[in-house]
Amino acid sequence: MSWLESHLLTVVIFLPVAGAVLVALLPRGEGAQHKGIAFLFSLLTFLASIPLWISFHPGAARYAFEQKSEWAPALGFSYHVGLDGVALLLFLLTTFLGPIVTLSSWKYIEVRVKEYSLALLLLETAMLGTLASLDLVLFYVFWEAMLVPMYLLIGVWGSERRIYAAVKFFLFTFIGSVLMLLAIFWLWSNSGPPGHRTFDYVALIDQGALPPAKQTWLFLAFALAFAIKVPMWPLHTWLPDAHTEAPAAGSIILAGVMLKMGTYGFIRYAMPLFPHAANQFAPAIGVLGVVGIVYGSFMCMAQTDLKRLIAYSSVAHLGFVMLGLAALTAEAANGAVLQMVNHGISTGGLFLLVGYLYERTHTRELSAYGGLAKVAPALTAAFVVITLSSIGLPGTNGFVGEFLVLIGTFTAKDLGTWSIRGAEFSKGMTLSVLAATGVVLGAVYMLWMVQRVFFGPERKAASHGVADLSVREWFTVAPLILAIVWIGFQPQPLLDAIKRPVDDFVQRVSRPEKVISPRPGGASSGEQPPAPDAPRIILPQRAPMAKPPAELDK
Amino acid sequence: MSFNPADLNGVLPALILAGGAMLLLTSEVFLRTADPDRRYQAWVAAAVAAAGLWAAVAQFGDPALPLFSGAAVSDAFARVIAAVVCAALLLSCVVAFSYLEVLRATRGEFYALALFSASGMCLLAQATDLIVIFISLEVMSLSVYALCAYLRRGKRPAEAAFKYFILGSFASAIFLYGAALAFGASGSTRLADVAAASRTGGAGTLLLASAALLASGFAFKVAAVPFHMWVPDVYDGAPAPVTGFMAAGVKAAAFATLVRILVTGYGDTAAGAHGWRGVIVLLAYLTMFAGNLLAVPQRSVKRMLAYSSIAHAGYLLVAVAAMGTTAPRADATEALLFYLAAYGATVIGAFAVVALIERKLALSGLGDDLSSWAGLSERHPALAAAMSLFMVSLAGIPPTAGFMAKLTVFRSAIEADLVPLAVFGVITSVAGLYYYLRVVVYVYMVPEAKPGAIEGGRLLSAGLAIAGCALIVLWMGVQPGTFASIAQTAATAFVR
Repeated sequence: MSWLESHLLTVVIFLPVAGAVLVALLPRGEGAQHKGIAFLFSLLTFLASIPLWISFHPGAARYAFEQKSEWAPALGFSYHVGLDGVALLLFLLTTFLGPIVTLSSWKYIEVRVKEYSLALLLLETAMLGTLASLDLVLFYVFWEAMLVPMYLLIGVWGSERRIYAAVKFFLFTFIGSVLMLLAIFWLWSNSGPPGHRTFDYVALIDQGALPPAKQTWLFLAFALAFAIKVPMWPLHTWLPDAHTEAPAAGSIILAGVMLKMGTYGFIRYAMPLFPHAANQFAPAIGVLGVVGIVYGSFMCMAQTDLKRLIAYSSVAHLGFVMLGLAALTAEAANGAVLQMVNHGISTGGLFLLVGYLYERTHTRELSAYGGLAKVAPALTAAFVVITLSSIGLPGTNGFVGEFLVLIGTFTAKDLGTWSIRGAEFSKGMTLSVLAATGVVLGAVYMLWMVQRVFFGPERKAASHGVADLSVREWFTVAPLILAIVWIGFQPQPLLDAIKRPVDDFVQRVSRPEKVISPRPGGASSGEQPPAPDAPRIILPQRAPMAKPPAELDK
Repeated sequence: MSFNPADLNGVLPALILAGGAMLLLTSEVFLRTADPDRRYQAWVAAAVAAAGLWAAVAQFGDPALPLFSGAAVSDAFARVIAAVVCAALLLSCVVAFSYLEVLRATRGEFYALALFSASGMCLLAQATDLIVIFISLEVMSLSVYALCAYLRRGKRPAEAAFKYFILGSFASAIFLYGAALAFGASGSTRLADVAAASRTGGAGTLLLASAALLASGFAFKVAAVPFHMWVPDVYDGAPAPVTGFMAAGVKAAAFATLVRILVTGYGDTAAGAHGWRGVIVLLAYLTMFAGNLLAVPQRSVKRMLAYSSIAHAGYLLVAVAAMGTTAPRADATEALLFYLAAYGATVIGAFAVVALIERKLALSGLGDDLSSWAGLSERHPALAAAMSLFMVSLAGIPPTAGFMAKLTVFRSAIEADLVPLAVFGVITSVAGLYYYLRVVVYVYMVPEAKPGAIEGGRLLSAGLAIAGCALIVLWMGVQPGTFASIAQTAATAFVR
């Protein structure tokens, strides 16, 4: 294997940093060269990531393109990266959106272009690193490193209430992640006798899970960090502000990739590391997911601000993802992962087009729009296609994901039942029926929005003469539409890629008692005298089902 | 007690610094013109600091040596502290050079005083005898009091120095009282003898009282709540380069001594191994809470950094508390050293930027307020980026030194079973994030109200120091292994 082959993943992750260094060395100037370099390097990153997809063999190894080298042995962590199918899809989504984002803001960003290009490039590396990390500290470093560039993107180039939104975004996500950091330390401190402890994700997974009693708090610490990022209802309040105030590029990255970090965190870290607790909390997560779907949908209908509307639709869409993960069936989990990718493409696309509208009209007020279809037909067409994908029309990508989630949840038997007044309701069926209303509501608010913006009588924005999509803008929209149609008709390659990690995930979390194992050196740290030992091997027993946090009114 | 000249080699960094200070003072005699050119002093001071740094680093691998029949020790722990102090001095000299030149405040004493205080700090980290500790404490403190009052214009420097002097003397007196009690209980001022006395269990109450008093004296120096009242006024009133040096150097030396006294002297008392742990835990709670909370409403960046230094003392106390276990506590010592170095580099950089803003304000006669930071990124982008980097590091966000420091400290706390303390610590750090971010908000997001670049020139030397700090902060954040392994070696000093 050549050097490039064995280091390909690292090269892709850090290519944007190379671009950032180049940008930093250039004088401030007009800014065109900074944008150019940012675009060039994000394009290069995308091109370099294509071989990852081509040479990826699902099922060949648990983690492809794995690379492990020393980082700080004195502190106990290493540089360990690798991709499984789930991470690969999100990784490619990130590199795919990279050049689109830089190209889309070519005209809009005119001040502090140098800093802007720097922030975009560093953000891309942080996101790619988060997805590829296989060491908990490395993961955390990248995870937190995402915050600063995003904070600057919102705060410097955003609209009126940008500072409020940026600080809120930063504080919310930071609160969640510091507790996760402590949980990571706790996990480390219980991973073996002194001198043999590890932050390595693969080692921790292979070691088997902690005793069930210890899992709950650790799971909650991880889950809080990820739930804020997703965001799950009721922790979503930062999202509409951040989305609304961010510049278009920020919104695309936020919706396209960053929110997925939360759901990815669930499927990669919070649930497999603590399967017993995850199993117990699964119905609760499912309920919160459904609440998010319904609540988000209703909130969408009440919005007067275009970007806020799409932001709330994200809450609803990610509710589907969380529901799919909580159902603990292979179909639902497959659907959830697919839905992550789909949401990235379609909501990213919506924010892109809304950004173009805003560039032209400088307003996000729905009431200012109307009749745009006559003056900007191409833009309208593109918007409608992406909207349909967001609704989940068959033939677009959105359909496959939502359908799998619903069917997987409907058949989920492991979740158990709720008994209300003596009648037994399967949790899976109940949740999927409620979630299905979200599909209908989604169609309502999205189509209603399209109607108000593009059709009907011409209003202020349209009468000012909105220009249609330019060539540059076509270059950003076309790849998204292609991806929508391609995944809509050909989801199978994607499903093949994620099969193994998803199956592993479902098996591990739905049968948590199988992975609780005696640990070398014991779960209690080695320096303490061995306690009068409870048997290390926990006898197989079915996990008691958690009570739902709220009885559903029926 | 015999004097062995070879022992002088063990205190080489302190000797070099003190020698350099005397050289500078003597050189004043030979300046004959009415307004002599004193620029050479900065260079001499920097060279001496570099020599001290070299001496500390060169001795690093040597085995631990007791010096002067047990009155001091030369071990890796002390050498790391000496290196941190010398590096802090070196960077601060460069910062002070441009600051003093532009404010036309170059007089003979500045660098000599700085060197004297640094020699006191180095010796403080080595001392294992209460008398030696007291002497080096006073060498350090008296020089720092004078440095605080160095700018004679205006009331605030004088107020700061006066406050610091009065309260500092009070703390010294408390320390001295504790030393007297320890002598009464053990018949010796050597920490080893105090430890032996406490192990046999005689005079238990007297020893506990002495431990409390000695710790209180140093709790004042490290600015632990409730001994923190002096910090905001002193940090605010002192010239910014001095404040940076104080925050980095005094904190490192005082923490080193605190640990030395508690672990070596009172490692196992009759009240049980490390009976002081509970008190330190309580101090850590109070310090993290009050420091972070009081920093939130501050509008002056200097005062904010003062309260933040209190908060960071709280995080360092977490590491000290984590050292107080029966299990090997090397990881906590490692954390303490890593944190001191990381905080030192960050805070000197931050105060170097503050120094540039301060001299701009001093020249234009404005007060220190966040609004004077508005729009810094438009006029001085590199400066703005550096300041943001330091703020991010203080808040503990990767990839900076501050994050790795927090990582080591909180991990050692989890290891030492101090989970509630660690949880409390990270939650207070969220409040910390808020006020650090506010600086970034002003630097990057609030437009400039009154345009004006930093005047007076000499930006290059200040920029050099800032760039140096920024590089250290990034390097410790991205490649923490190098310094961590040094700290790991040094941490063996306390493992028995």
